[in-house]
Amino acid sequence: MLQVTGARVRYGDREVLHGVDVEVAAGELLAVLGANGSGKSTLLRAAAGLAGSDGGENDGEVRVDGRERAPLDVALVFQRIHLVPRRTVLDNVCAGALGRLPLRSSLVAALFPRAVREEAMGCLERVGLADRAHDRAGALSGGQQQRVAVARALCQRARVLLADEPVSALDPAAAEQVLGLLAELAHTERLAVLAVLHQPGLAARYADRVVGLREGRVVLDGPAGTDVGSLYPADDRDLEAVS
Amino acid sequence: MTMTDTGVRWVPVPPRRRRPRTLAVGGAVLAALLIVHVIAWRTTEMSFATLLDGADGMADFLSEAIPPDLSADVLLPSLEGALVTLWIGLLGTTLSIPFALLLALAAARGTAPGPVVYQAARGLLSFLRAVPDVVFALIFVTAVGLGPFPGVLALVFHNVGVMGKLWAETIEDADPGPPTALRSAGAGRLQVAAHALLPSLTPQLTGLLLYRFDVNVRSSLVLGLVGAGGIGFLINQSIQLFRFDEMLTHILVVLVLIVAVDRLSALVRRHLGSAA
Repeated sequence: MLQVTGARVRYGDREVLHGVDVEVAAGELLAVLGANGSGKSTLLRAAAGLAGSDGGENDGEVRVDGRERAPLDVALVFQRIHLVPRRTVLDNVCAGALGRLPLRSSLVAALFPRAVREEAMGCLERVGLADRAHDRAGALSGGQQQRVAVARALCQRARVLLADEPVSALDPAAAEQVLGLLAELAHTERLAVLAVLHQPGLAARYADRVVGLREGRVVLDGPAGTDVGSLYPADDRDLEAVS
Repeated sequence: MTMTDTGVRWVPVPPRRRRPRTLAVGGAVLAALLIVHVIAWRTTEMSFATLLDGADGMADFLSEAIPPDLSADVLLPSLEGALVTLWIGLLGTTLSIPFALLLALAAARGTAPGPVVYQAARGLLSFLRAVPDVVFALIFVTAVGLGPFPGVLALVFHNVGVMGKLWAETIEDADPGPPTALRSAGAGRLQVAAHALLPSLTPQLTGLLLYRFDVNVRSSLVLGLVGAGGIGFLINQSIQLFRFDEMLTHILVVLVLIVAVDRLSALVRRHLGSAA
């Protein structure tokens, strides 16, 4: 579903990604692992088409469903969630549809067409938060907010979902719940989900496949449960063992 | 050697080296400040002697002003004038909202459609800010005649400049997260402003609006002095007729009005702060 070919990203003289190929199939949750600075977040930005917009140079090709990536093809989920806390949960989810709405039916939330609201309610039901539709997003817990952000991404109707460390800011129980949700969406809705993760343990439990990056190259590609210890410097591994 | 109960001993503080350059720069700044104040003192003809000579005139003025004339003939028009002043300030603030919002969006990096529009909007805001509201009032009084209407126009023009600038800065300082998220979902510039920026910033923008309302009510008083209606006009009239007791009544009414508006605005802003 998602094909990233020859992704090569440079910031000034420094090449962060040296020609990376990654493919995610429909119905698959792919976890991208790697130590800090290995280029895993840059890979996600390249796949999202953001790596060229922040001062970096980006070669390589991103194809979705065999075509060149169009702006609405991929939906993003962020580490820092990025909901508007003062707005209702439902309005936040409706905002995922903004890209296909004309200005006259989207300038204020009251103008959102009924079909969009009902689709957003469906997305909220999908993430198990339909009962919180009219609460302010800021009133929800971190894990619930991230699930609302996933609902917003669903409302975008993209077939590819990119998640940049989606659970790094969450407590362990919420992290399990959000990753469980992403895996389930991949399997039942046939989405291609690429998640950059910090914790190898979570990747082993929820991903279908893991890709490991080191110094801007793919050094590992295998089924979940592949030993990924070699990706991390030795002292980090000790920390991992302690926690 | 002195020691505390816990066994920490007193250690002499080592001398701090001051670089001679720091001292020289400090001395130069101090001397420059002194010189500009001397120039300012001479140019403005500051003189305690003149103030003392004028003491008799002050005393006459005060003896005529006190007690204030609180008869209904004076107090009722005064209250009416104060209300007109309040309405001028209110309309001057409210009517400037749409223009200030458009210019603020055009003059904030991130929401501006392009560098040309950005610079043009910044320039227009600077111009409106640079012309004082009293000058706008004098222009509009000449154009449309005496009365509250030119006062409202003057406040709108100046306030768009100030509020647009304050709002633009607030928009530039906003958390870039939610706008990034909506842009990645394909939202356009206006959609991002309407669904990510403005909802997040409502408390700050409203707080600035109330602050400007507070300032505008006080400004509209001064506008009255140049013929733009309201209680400022009455104050000007009673000075020209040497009715200082009436003038004091007007000033006391103004005091009540200003304190009331100030308290109200502070109250609403505090409420907004706790809701945010």
